Amino acid sequence: MTTQQLGTPIAHDDEAVVIIGSGAGGGTLAHELTARGIPCVVLEAGPFLKPEDYENDEWAAFNQMAWLDNRTASGSYRVARDFPNLPAWIVKAVGGSTTHWSGATPRFRAYEFRAKTYYGGVEGANLLDWPITLDDLAPYYDKAEIAIGSTHRHGRPPLPANNNYKVFANGAEKVGYRYYATGPYGTNAEPYDGRPASIQDGFNFQGDKNTSKWSTAVREIPRALATGKCDLRTEAQAVQVTHDAQGRADGVLYLDSDGNMHRQNAKVVCAAGNSIESPRLLLLSASALHPDGLANSSGQVGRNYMRHTTGSVYARFDEPVRMYRGETMAGIIADEARQDTSRGFAGGYYMETLALGPAFLAAFVDPGTWGPDFTELLDAYQRTAGMWIVGEDMPQETNQVTLNTALLDQWGLPAPDVHFDDHPNDVAMRLHGYGRADMLYEAVGATGTHHTPPYPATHNLGTCRMSAEPEDGVVDRFGQAHDVPRLFISDGSVMTTGAAANPTLTIVALAIRQAEYIADELGKGTL
Amino acid sequence: MSTTEREHDAVVDERGRANLVRLLRVAYPHPQFPDGPYERTADTIIEQVGVSPWHRISLVNGLQTLDAAAGGSFADLEEPAALTLLRSVENAEFFVFVRGVTVTTLYNDHEVWDLLGYEGASFDQGGYLHRGFDDLDWLPSPRIEEYAGPDQLLEVAPDDEPTGRGR
Repeated sequence: MTTQQLGTPIAHDDEAVVIIGSGAGGGTLAHELTARGIPCVVLEAGPFLKPEDYENDEWAAFNQMAWLDNRTASGSYRVARDFPNLPAWIVKAVGGSTTHWSGATPRFRAYEFRAKTYYGGVEGANLLDWPITLDDLAPYYDKAEIAIGSTHRHGRPPLPANNNYKVFANGAEKVGYRYYATGPYGTNAEPYDGRPASIQDGFNFQGDKNTSKWSTAVREIPRALATGKCDLRTEAQAVQVTHDAQGRADGVLYLDSDGNMHRQNAKVVCAAGNSIESPRLLLLSASALHPDGLANSSGQVGRNYMRHTTGSVYARFDEPVRMYRGETMAGIIADEARQDTSRGFAGGYYMETLALGPAFLAAFVDPGTWGPDFTELLDAYQRTAGMWIVGEDMPQETNQVTLNTALLDQWGLPAPDVHFDDHPNDVAMRLHGYGRADMLYEAVGATGTHHTPPYPATHNLGTCRMSAEPEDGVVDRFGQAHDVPRLFISDGSVMTTGAAANPTLTIVALAIRQAEYIADELGKGTL
Repeated sequence: MSTTEREHDAVVDERGRANLVRLLRVAYPHPQFPDGPYERTADTIIEQVGVSPWHRISLVNGLQTLDAAAGGSFADLEEPAALTLLRSVENAEFFVFVRGVTVTTLYNDHEVWDLLGYEGASFDQGGYLHRGFDDLDWLPSPRIEEYAGPDQLLEVAPDDEPTGRGR
């Protein structure tokens, strides 16, 4: 496919708000700003895949939409050994990773915005309190939940129990958990917002052909295009943000699908390329005023990379489960999402239902293993239930996205390297989660359980973190770079700490808040 | 294309392919699987080595020398002995390559999906809404709403309140 221009053309020398990326952050910004009449150019690195393009097939869908440009993984975590060129599983298409997100939408908890205060001095962790609180974000969480149509919120009904949830919730009840439900979850249980109810087809990480699942590809981007204020350019890879003599962001260089370089003038630049591409872009934008990378006087660009402490547990039963039927992650237990260091670690985690098909289960259940122990897991496929453990990991300065000058991408630009070492707190939390999941499944008759290591990261956070003081982070409380006026970061990179919750809802809430701020400042002429 | 294929034929011979099929059966044992999925996987592996001289020379040499390691014919080894032999070569490049292709090929085979009880694409059949997404009947139907009882989740344990640590 080739670069397409969709919507209303904006000239290259017009000063628009230039948004890099069209996922949870960028897509939301485009919608919010164009709805206020503010012209936006959206540069999306991937193609515009439509629901009819999505494939009900794990590998076909992966090859269709995953970000597969050159990348490297390094460090002591297992992904670096098993998937050295796939540190993250995210989407390169209009809609970004909302195309394949699961749908779980818990909010962050109040204490999670104050991780340094609550967790204290965790050795090796570069903890910091957010410059905003839950109260600051609460009204925007409401707006985000309404946009997404989260079940269990604002009058949206819950999804019914599917087979995997029946095992999960019965186990939860047996071990004394209380805070379980089929959501909150960003997929319609009944028709809502012009999109139909779920048909429980079991395909979710592959894009939802039925459009019951919220994504910016089916909601925000089409609405932005309909305003007549949005110029969406697909397969347009941003390669540099430029600044004027006063050090203010003033343009974006990007490549079209033929490799031709273009420059779009910008009044404001919003980078929303995910927590790997956004810091990479800043590092590629080093200038004489910003020799260590744009907006990097703190030295924190690319650092404090977080990926959530994750793990999966697959449990085998005597009776059929057929976990693949129905909504993949419509099952959430919140009982462990709390701060209680008597468990041996700081921070908390959620347990969420998860199902893979045999193709992905074989590739990810225990990478590199083979033989009868491995095939036993696949032979039990129909009698298997699964869950994901997702919790807060510690920010560490040495967990970092850098430019790997030894490996170039298809454009000749240095590929990003994602370096990650587990913190002992992450390991302790994961082991606790495995143990609780075993108890839960054994309480409803599991004959065996398997502990699956973390997958390539779907949650990538923290590499341009928000801070009160410029020396502690990259952006301020509204996501504007401390060092560079008119440059905003609008994705999960800004998260000061990662909290336990799946990040999409919070990215959307932050983007709605940021859009309001940008519109206000543009209106006042102060930006 | 045809040139490349002649090279494959010249490289992994019938005996090499037989060893590969046997290797797959031993390394990924599913007694209920017929030969078809294993043979198709072997052919995919042989096809893919064409793109990499390194993989090609590793695979051809690896498959040929399995016979020497078996003291005659690898394909004739009983399963326990064959498994032991494969354990001893599991870090060899050819075996790593075979594993990498196998997990993404054997388990992506639609006959294998059937055998394992996976139904594949479902959207074109209306999903599972009326085809058993909730047909599990050996456990009671659980609550789907959020907990609405008298208790409230304690987000921070008393000992973890910052004031509780003397701050």
